[in-house]
Amino acid sequence: MTEEPTTDEQLAPRPGAEQAELAAEIRAERKRVTGGTPDDAHDVIIELDNVDVYYGDFHAVDSVTIPVREKEITAFIGPSGCGKSTVLRSINRMNDLIESARVEGRIAYHGVDLYGSGVDPVEVRRHIGMVFQKPNPFPKSIYDNIAFGPKIAGFKGDMDDLVESSLQRAALWDEVKDKLDESAFALSGGQQQRLCIARAIATSPDVLLMDEPASALDPIATLRIEDLMYELKQEYTIIIVTHNMQQAARVSDRTAFFSVDVNEGKRTGRLVEFTETAKLFTDPAEQETEDYITGRFG
Amino acid sequence: MVDTHDLPQHNNIQTDLRHHYDDELEEIRTELVEFGTMVLTNVRHAGEVVTESILDQIDDVRQADKPINARYKALETKVFEILALQQPVARDLRFLVASTRILYELERSGDLAVNLVKQLDRLDGLPSDQQIRSMLAQLSQSAAKTFALGVEAIATMDPEIGIGAEAADEETDDLTADLYRLVTERQESLGLETSVALFRMGRFFERIADHGVNIAEDITFVATGAFPNED
Repeated sequence: MTEEPTTDEQLAPRPGAEQAELAAEIRAERKRVTGGTPDDAHDVIIELDNVDVYYGDFHAVDSVTIPVREKEITAFIGPSGCGKSTVLRSINRMNDLIESARVEGRIAYHGVDLYGSGVDPVEVRRHIGMVFQKPNPFPKSIYDNIAFGPKIAGFKGDMDDLVESSLQRAALWDEVKDKLDESAFALSGGQQQRLCIARAIATSPDVLLMDEPASALDPIATLRIEDLMYELKQEYTIIIVTHNMQQAARVSDRTAFFSVDVNEGKRTGRLVEFTETAKLFTDPAEQETEDYITGRFG
Repeated sequence: MVDTHDLPQHNNIQTDLRHHYDDELEEIRTELVEFGTMVLTNVRHAGEVVTESILDQIDDVRQADKPINARYKALETKVFEILALQQPVARDLRFLVASTRILYELERSGDLAVNLVKQLDRLDGLPSDQQIRSMLAQLSQSAAKTFALGVEAIATMDPEIGIGAEAADEETDDLTADLYRLVTERQESLGLETSVALFRMGRFFERIADHGVNIAEDITFVATGAFPNED
């Protein structure tokens, strides 16, 4: 054995572009399963298939394809203007309320095209409920906040039972059971948001859309909402839009990362990567995802 | 020890944001290289002391392990602080988690260097058997060479080193087996105490090489997201 051990010169720190390129090649060769998982036990409940959203001439979102699985939490993350909220709102036809908005491609719920003729958007929103960024309870009592939706929908059962079970599911019952007649505005921000979740589930939806549900809350109230989401996914499918990447990492099963292209001052959002959350945050397939989640670009 | 002033970034991605964080990560990597070089130096020295039976340098190897242990603790604390404060993800997370493993591998290798010279101390010198001495010298060289691959991998962040590391380690394994065979054959003339000490030396050299392989493979994991031969 005449060969000398590695010299000190070889050990001088000198990582370079060459190694990074090599690593990228090796990574590219590895098999990647986009949107797949070792446990695909849950059926696809909502299928976004080549969805484009326009506001008049303005192309807001370009060709998004995401299969959302039942009883999972799917997170949409990405920089401002990437279209994540726009896509979320198109799922329960909230964008119908904006006159110029137009959705192309297909959004199917249990295989039914939600934009098909004869589909009633109000009916869609009963099955696909929504929770907004700022808690927005009605200026009514806690009880009436929950009872309002079912009453309008012609609910014929025991309203007291429904109010109680909705508040139970939203983990709020114990805190409000003795003051159901009081104004919802008397509750704290975190409680108001859980009330809105209880209100959303009172009409028995099976999908909940949450648009930044905790961004107006303090850290403890935020963790309570996240914990609640974890409970809710036993029964509901949840799609959450969040600016808080750690929140997406903590609560979701799969994450969709959106980015934005700026062309002549116009911003068009697009999907960069959709995969299991654990994969996305430890070993993302796309460099663009890596740059955003590590905080180096965005 | 190493001038880190003009080093390139630890990877070539855009670094528009988080300069301070990038600096911290690069500092950890540079310190790992320095730490690895410290351990490698003592591993080589221990090999020399043992195979050339230099009794009056046994204590030097022991003393050199003290700053190694101190550096280990200091670096580990730094890594934990970044993990706690920066919420690293993706490659950064892989790098920091791998760093804690690499630190452990390096620290253990430092201990093995000390264990090697302890065997010599116990024997009060190597037996004069030339064949055994020459085989031990080959083993020592081979183990240091494989161990150096690990340090080189940290210095270059080259994923290929880890991919070829296991094959590179075969030589050390073969030499260890040869040494075992030879000592077994000659155990009567060597005596029990000497035979056991030689077995141990073989074992420690082999372990040192293994730590080098593990480090190189950790770097492959950092760079590619998977260990060699894993998918």
